[in-house]
Amino acid sequence: MAHTPPRPAVKMGLPIPNSKLGMWLFLGTEIMFFTAFIGTYIVLYFGSVDANGRSAWPTDTHVTHINVVAGAINTFVLIFSSYLVVVAHEAMGQRNFQKAFKALGGTFVCACLFLGIKGVEYGGKISHDILPGRIAETEDEALDKLVREMGAALDARLDSLIPGDQPIHIKQSQAAQVGDAPRLLESAQKSLAENPNNPEMREQRDVMQALVDNATQVAIWRTLDIEYGSLRDAVSRNALTLEEAEHRLHELELAARVQVSETESLVGPFVDAARLETLAHSEHPEEASAPAHDDDLPHLAEGEVAIKSGGEWKVYPASNVKLLQDNVYEDVLSSVHHPQVILYGNIFASTYFLMTGFHAVHVVVGMILFAIVLVQGPKLNERWTEWVENSGLYWHFVDLVWIFLFPLIYIIPGV
Amino acid sequence: MSDTTAATQHAEHAAHPHVNYTKIFVALCVCTALSWVADEAGGWGLIDSKRMIAVIVLAIAVAKAQYVMRYFMHLKFEGKWKYVLLLPTTILACGIPLALAPDIGLHYYRPTTPQTRVEIAPPTELSPTAAPHESAKGSAPEHGGDH
Repeated sequence: MAHTPPRPAVKMGLPIPNSKLGMWLFLGTEIMFFTAFIGTYIVLYFGSVDANGRSAWPTDTHVTHINVVAGAINTFVLIFSSYLVVVAHEAMGQRNFQKAFKALGGTFVCACLFLGIKGVEYGGKISHDILPGRIAETEDEALDKLVREMGAALDARLDSLIPGDQPIHIKQSQAAQVGDAPRLLESAQKSLAENPNNPEMREQRDVMQALVDNATQVAIWRTLDIEYGSLRDAVSRNALTLEEAEHRLHELELAARVQVSETESLVGPFVDAARLETLAHSEHPEEASAPAHDDDLPHLAEGEVAIKSGGEWKVYPASNVKLLQDNVYEDVLSSVHHPQVILYGNIFASTYFLMTGFHAVHVVVGMILFAIVLVQGPKLNERWTEWVENSGLYWHFVDLVWIFLFPLIYIIPGV
Repeated sequence: MSDTTAATQHAEHAAHPHVNYTKIFVALCVCTALSWVADEAGGWGLIDSKRMIAVIVLAIAVAKAQYVMRYFMHLKFEGKWKYVLLLPTTILACGIPLALAPDIGLHYYRPTTPQTRVEIAPPTELSPTAAPHESAKGSAPEHGGDH
C-alpha cells in the first residue's frame, strides 16, 4: 500500500490572534452602540423645533451648564492618554517593560483626571437640577416646580425642628402652638410625671421641649410658611407670572431678622447700601432679575438700611437697627432652585447623560483593564503584550467616541 | 497566553512600519486647537455661517478620528479583514438614525401639535363656537395619533 502524504491542513480564520479578533468584533458592536446614541441625539437636535419650526434645542451654556473649557481639557487628556497607550504597546514590543509600565500608569492617571473633570461638570448640572425629567419646559411647570420644591423644603425643615414620626400635617399644627409652648411644656411634664411609662406623653413632652428650644427657628419657619401659602395660592389662581414668582423668591432670599426697637423685631427682606450695590452689579445669571426690579428696591442714603414689612419698605438709620440673623430662610431656600423654563430641556439632559454617562462607564472599564496590568508591577513581561495591545485598541475607541462627542455636544450647539 | 500567540504578535509588530507616534499626537493637538479656533472664529466675525462652523468642526473631528484609527489603532497596516469586520457594523449603525429621521428629525411635531391623540368631546348645541376649535385640534392625530 502506497504511503500517501497527509494533506496540509486548511488554513482557517483571520491572520490575527484570536484575542485581537475578539476585541475588533466587540468594537464593531460598540460602533453600533454609540452610533445609536449619537445618531438619535442628532435627529432629536434637528427635530426639536418651536412653534415656528425653528430649532429650539437648548444651546445657551448659562442654561444648559455645558462647560466648553472642561470638554476641551478632557479632549486633550484623552488624546494624551491614547498617545501614552500606543507608546506602552510599542515599549512592550521592544521588551522595555519599565517604559510600558510608566506609560500605562500615565494613562491611568489621565483616566482619573478625565473622570474628575467630568464629575465637576456633572456636579454643576446636578446642583442646577439639569436632570432628565426634572426640568420645567413651560412657565406653568416652572411655577409648579417652585411651589413643590418650596413645600418639600419647608416640610423637611419642620421635620428637623420637631422630633417624632408623626405626619407632617400634625407637625404643622404643633408648630402653630409655638407661642404657647412654655405653658404646654409645663403641663406635659406634669402629665409625664404622673404617668412616666406613657409613650404618648413622653412624645408630647419631647415635642413641646423642642418647640421651646427652637422657638425662634419655628417662628421663622411659620413666617416662611405664610409666604409659601401666599405663593402657592397665587400660583393655583394663575395670578402670578414666572417673573413675579422669581422676584418673590429673590426677596425671601434677602430676608433677615432685625431688631428695630427695644420691643420690636421684624423678619423680612433686608437691604443696606452694600447689598444694594451687590444686587445692582450681580453677574450671576440667576440673580439677573434683581436689577430688573430695581424700582422695587428702596433708595438708601449713607448709613441707612431698609426692611420690607407689610408689603412696604421701611427705612431706618443703620445705628438704630440690630441685625439679629441674616438670610433667615437659607436653610429652606438652599434646596429651592430658581425657576427657569427650558424648552426640550429634559430630552437634552437625557441625551447628554446617556452619551457622556456611557462613555464614562467605558473609561472606568478601560481603567480596570490597565489596573490589571499595573498590579503586575516589576513582574510585567512579554506575556502581557497582547493584553496591552487589545486594551489599547479599546482605549483608542473610547478616545474616538469622545472626539465626536466634543464637537457635537460642546461646540456646535453653542456656536 | 501561549508563546505561539506571543510570537505571532511579535511577528505582526515587526510587520508594522515604524510610526512616529509623537508626530501623530502633535497633529491631534493641532486639530483640537483648530476646532477651538473655528469655534472662536464665529465670535470674531471671521465666519458668519453657523452651519459652516459646524461643518469645519466636524471635518476636523473626522480628521482626528482618521489619525487615531490609522496610526494608533494600526488600521493602516492591517489586512483586508478590517473591511469585513467594520463595514457591516458601520452600515448597520446608521439604521437607528435613519429610522428615526422621518418621524423625529423632519419636524413632524411641534409644541402646538403634540405627539398625542387628543380625545375630542362631541360638539354640543350649547357651545356653537366649539366646532371650529375642535376641528383645528382634530388635525393633531393626523400627524401623530398613529405613532
